[in-house]
Amino acid sequence: MDTIIIDGLSFALPLFIIAIGGIYSEKSGITNLALEGFQGFGAFIGAMSAVLIANAFGTDIQNLFYVALLFAMIGGMGFSIIHAVLSIKFKADQVISGVVINILALALTTFLTTQINALVFGAASDKFRLGVSERFTIEGVANIPVIGAVFTNVYPFEVIIIVIAFFAWYLLYKTKFGMRLRASGENPHSVDAAGVNVSKIRFSAVLISGLLSGLGGMCFAYSISANFSSNIYMGYGFLAIAALIFGNWRILPTLAACLLFGFAKSGGAFIAQSMALPSSFTDLFMILPYVLTLLLLIFFSKSNRAPRALGEIYDKGKR
Amino acid sequence: MSKDKKKKSLRYSLIRPISNEKWQPISIPFVSIIISFIAAAIVILLIGKNPLQAFYNLFQGAGILPKPSYAGYKSMLTDFLSLLNAMTPLVFASLAVAVAFRAGLFNIGVSGQMLVSGFLATIIVGYSGLDAIIAKPLVLLIGMVAGGLMGGLVGWLKYKFNINEVVTTIMLNYIAQYVISFFIQMYYIDPVSRQSKYISEAARLTLVNVEIANLKMDIPLGFILAIITAILIKFVMDKTVVGFEIKAVGNNRNAAKYAGIKVGRNTVLAMVISGGLAGLAGVTYYLGYFSSIQPKVLSSIGFDSIAVSLLGNSHPIGVIFSSFLVSIIDQGSTYMSSQAGIRQEISSVIIGLILLFSACGAYLKHKVSRLKEKEVDQKESES
Amino acid sequence: MSDYIVEMKHITKRFPGIVANDDVSIGIKKGEIFALLGENGAGKSTLMSILGGMYEPDEGEIYIRGEKVQISSPNHAAKLNIGMVHQHFKLVSDYTITENIILGVEPMKKFAGLFPYVDIRNANRKIEELSKNFGLEVDPTKKIADLTVSMQQRVEILKVLYREAEILIFDEPTAVLTPQEIEFLLGIIEGLRNGGKTIILITHKLEEIKKVADRCAVLNKGNLVDVLDVKETSTKQMAQLMVGREVNFESAKAPAVMKEEVLKVDHLTVKNEDGFEVVKDVSFTIHSGEIFAIAGVADNGQVEIADAIAGLTKVSGGKVLLQGKDITNESIRNRTEMGISYIPEDRQSFGLVLDFDLSTNLALKQYYREPFASKGILSKEEFEQFGSKLIDKYDIRSGQGIKTQVRSMSGGNQQKAIIAREIELQSPLMIFVQPTRGVDIGAIENIHKMMIQQRDQGKAILLVSLELDEIMNVADTIGVIYNGQLQKIASSESLTTNEVGEYMMGAKHE
Repeated sequence: MDTIIIDGLSFALPLFIIAIGGIYSEKSGITNLALEGFQGFGAFIGAMSAVLIANAFGTDIQNLFYVALLFAMIGGMGFSIIHAVLSIKFKADQVISGVVINILALALTTFLTTQINALVFGAASDKFRLGVSERFTIEGVANIPVIGAVFTNVYPFEVIIIVIAFFAWYLLYKTKFGMRLRASGENPHSVDAAGVNVSKIRFSAVLISGLLSGLGGMCFAYSISANFSSNIYMGYGFLAIAALIFGNWRILPTLAACLLFGFAKSGGAFIAQSMALPSSFTDLFMILPYVLTLLLLIFFSKSNRAPRALGEIYDKGKR
Repeated sequence: MSKDKKKKSLRYSLIRPISNEKWQPISIPFVSIIISFIAAAIVILLIGKNPLQAFYNLFQGAGILPKPSYAGYKSMLTDFLSLLNAMTPLVFASLAVAVAFRAGLFNIGVSGQMLVSGFLATIIVGYSGLDAIIAKPLVLLIGMVAGGLMGGLVGWLKYKFNINEVVTTIMLNYIAQYVISFFIQMYYIDPVSRQSKYISEAARLTLVNVEIANLKMDIPLGFILAIITAILIKFVMDKTVVGFEIKAVGNNRNAAKYAGIKVGRNTVLAMVISGGLAGLAGVTYYLGYFSSIQPKVLSSIGFDSIAVSLLGNSHPIGVIFSSFLVSIIDQGSTYMSSQAGIRQEISSVIIGLILLFSACGAYLKHKVSRLKEKEVDQKESES
Repeated sequence: MSDYIVEMKHITKRFPGIVANDDVSIGIKKGEIFALLGENGAGKSTLMSILGGMYEPDEGEIYIRGEKVQISSPNHAAKLNIGMVHQHFKLVSDYTITENIILGVEPMKKFAGLFPYVDIRNANRKIEELSKNFGLEVDPTKKIADLTVSMQQRVEILKVLYREAEILIFDEPTAVLTPQEIEFLLGIIEGLRNGGKTIILITHKLEEIKKVADRCAVLNKGNLVDVLDVKETSTKQMAQLMVGREVNFESAKAPAVMKEEVLKVDHLTVKNEDGFEVVKDVSFTIHSGEIFAIAGVADNGQVEIADAIAGLTKVSGGKVLLQGKDITNESIRNRTEMGISYIPEDRQSFGLVLDFDLSTNLALKQYYREPFASKGILSKEEFEQFGSKLIDKYDIRSGQGIKTQVRSMSGGNQQKAIIAREIELQSPLMIFVQPTRGVDIGAIENIHKMMIQQRDQGKAILLVSLELDEIMNVADTIGVIYNGQLQKIASSESLTTNEVGEYMMGAKHE
């Protein structure tokens, strides 16, 4: 039971922060299928920085977690510029742009990972080894049955994510930037008429989504996979999109959806393990989040409402 | 002033090659390809290699240009046939994306549809021991039906519950990947290769190691079918009522509905056709190019096909040419890697770049027409 | 120093292919209501967009309060105390009135002296006060989605007042209002002037100018024709200056000769996506040779009635009968075949496939049958022949004939193409929804003529329009809708414009 909660949370929270990134972009009116590419590319930059720094200064790579996190955010944000330029400046189809970026991210990071491994380490490896970040347990609270599991074996990034998520909520709903951002996704003409530059708002929204996705991707790399390789493209970005759609593009319900995915995943793995099934059965349990997504979409897609101007190319020059 | 004018005329001469609207469907992809190769050349230069040499090797490896020497039973022709063999599933997959795109839908699930049809054809026909004359058509049929059903499901979910097909196809990709991996590992695994057991030669759509004139070549039977299919799709889209309705739905769902076209039926139909084509890609890939299935892996063809289709302007004939190009990059990369010492993975980077620049095509078109407008204005105001 | 608060001198603005303003010079005095009169495309909106900072002029100068300025953006215009009340409201329907008004100029406060946040509470108070001062009472906490059209317009006005505008530009403000709401709005505008504001009123409605304006500039095809003192000019003179020729306001129309019943709508009820009844128990009939018009304020269910008859919307109760046959559950295609032509409200997103060429669009309702297609194969020649025939017959103008992409055609010609296609279907019932929206006066006259011609040939015609003048002009029978219910059905002679207006607001009951 405890492992379900512990593993579920450590899966759900990185997913959640990627989904918040998606909410920012989509609330501003830019469809964002590129989350997958953002998180992968961000994680790549983070992992690469950590590996190179560890190599140069001889530091233990596990201690470079925060450095990696910082670089991952920068990397994710940098890569998201492509989506912003393509879909805002170049007025490309936002779905196409997203798909293109995902393909490019996979190709580039795979190429660069092997290239860097060969050049710097002289090894033919397609991954950066990172290890698993340290965990902590809050004594006392951790002993409470069930709820205690929430405070047991916590990754530091889980705390960071919750703090950032809270700030993201504040920014989106309480500040003028957030107010303008949400208006851009509903009716960009109204924002334009109010003398605010819609393109700038959307541009920054996409960059924020890149930043948060990079953060999420790095957390996955430092926990579940313990390394960076092309396996980072497991579909976290797409799950995040599914989560934000159930969450109706709102932060708290999206958290609920992410938790559901997380617990479905850890629960499935737990059942497979406790029933002592052969390892191939884990494959069957792996489909749980995806099947759940489809089923939930069938039931909820009618009551959901996307931002009105989502995916529309905004052309203010219309006469 | 005159400097300004010079700058303008320079800009105009730069856009001239792509300013003719009639040729834009060809000229714009062409420009994107050139830009991508320039970008790739820069990358290759940065890692200290000679890009021209690399590109030359690329074409050599693909069987377009002759290599200095060949192993026994090999020649440029056998290389070229391997290229066609590899290209066949890509043509089908890209047609799948193109048809869906004409209907205003994104079929990102080509990989999953390929896997499901390839798997079903493998277990039903590949392990059956049927004669080639029955087995091969049956493989094609199963591929089409399985892919078509899966595509149809996506179309139906879109129509019935308004679920974005992009999300559905991605979810189905993962589900297909894991479920089939489970079945392969439970029942069909070859303990040595860690892949599914090899299928019978009779069921395979590529004739392997056929000895003609002292050469051993792989003859992709599916290739001819792919070309015929492309022409057929072009005919259906351009000349028939079915194609008209699919295009109308793709261009403007509201207007299509208003004109009495059944939007739901056409959405499902387009996805059935698209899925069926993806199914053909699946069987020519898993039961042609390969003869077994690697568990837990989705073929990258499903994603490359989006690039190919975009580059070919979602036009069936354009798709043939763009598949040809992308296959060259893919196939030639191994040889290039061994000759020029550049990592093979760069080929997908080049493809990614081509894709990136093609996505800017619409902008280029828009920009060109704007510049032309200005040009006309200026001439008017000057005269 | 001149006594003008706004002076625009020798303004010229070109767009590809046209000169929108050609050397136009006007001066506006502080505290007056200055009207800009002209047809669609005369250049009045362009001129005011230049003043509002949306466009920069190619030539000419602007002086505000005697100082030369270059207005580079709407923000800059707002700093010069110029505000524009747009014709198409630019509101976020999910936001409250306050949130819409403060968007872009949000008042801020700090939480714990550190975290800035938008001070909604204070803004609410300020807006409530402001709205009371100008007689525009609104509840600032209400969402836009819950407001009527005229209330939304008040929000647009409050937006510019909140930004402390002294010069207010109203762009066709009465286009979508009932006569009574127009009355109220004109009162507000006069009140604003009396409070010292300067008003510029863009319109093509002469009565409004006559009622409130002090002076009036007339534009025609980008040129300034004249600036008039409204008190000393008759509406007839203004009209002639505006159009450049004698105009006939009333369409010449013989009395209707009604024959057999073509359409019968029987207790029709339609629900929208949220399950809310937007058409409630509506019944009426239309006869051969009759123009039946549904009058009403926007979004009162009239479009849904048209859609339900044509089959685009599901019916949740009642019946629709065409020539005695129950078509309530027929497909759209079958209804077209049985005899319904439909000119939809939104020609670009419903009436046409913009990326198809003209000949294809002209055959959009017949492509699947002989002679356009046989055994599922299309005949290109038939499309081209049919297209060429219609282009000649209906005088549809386009750049490259039948090969023109419809997207590149003008609105008036797009509408002509749709009407041509629908008339060619030879259907006994023709539905026109807002057929003259966004087309110029010459084309309006032409469309009205065609409608009456079709009526005289024995068609039954259903007209849905928001323009009351249009309805009074062409309708034989008028049904007034309010809140999804038909308030009144009567012959057009028996009703006055004002009465129809009252029914439109649900004010008048029998």
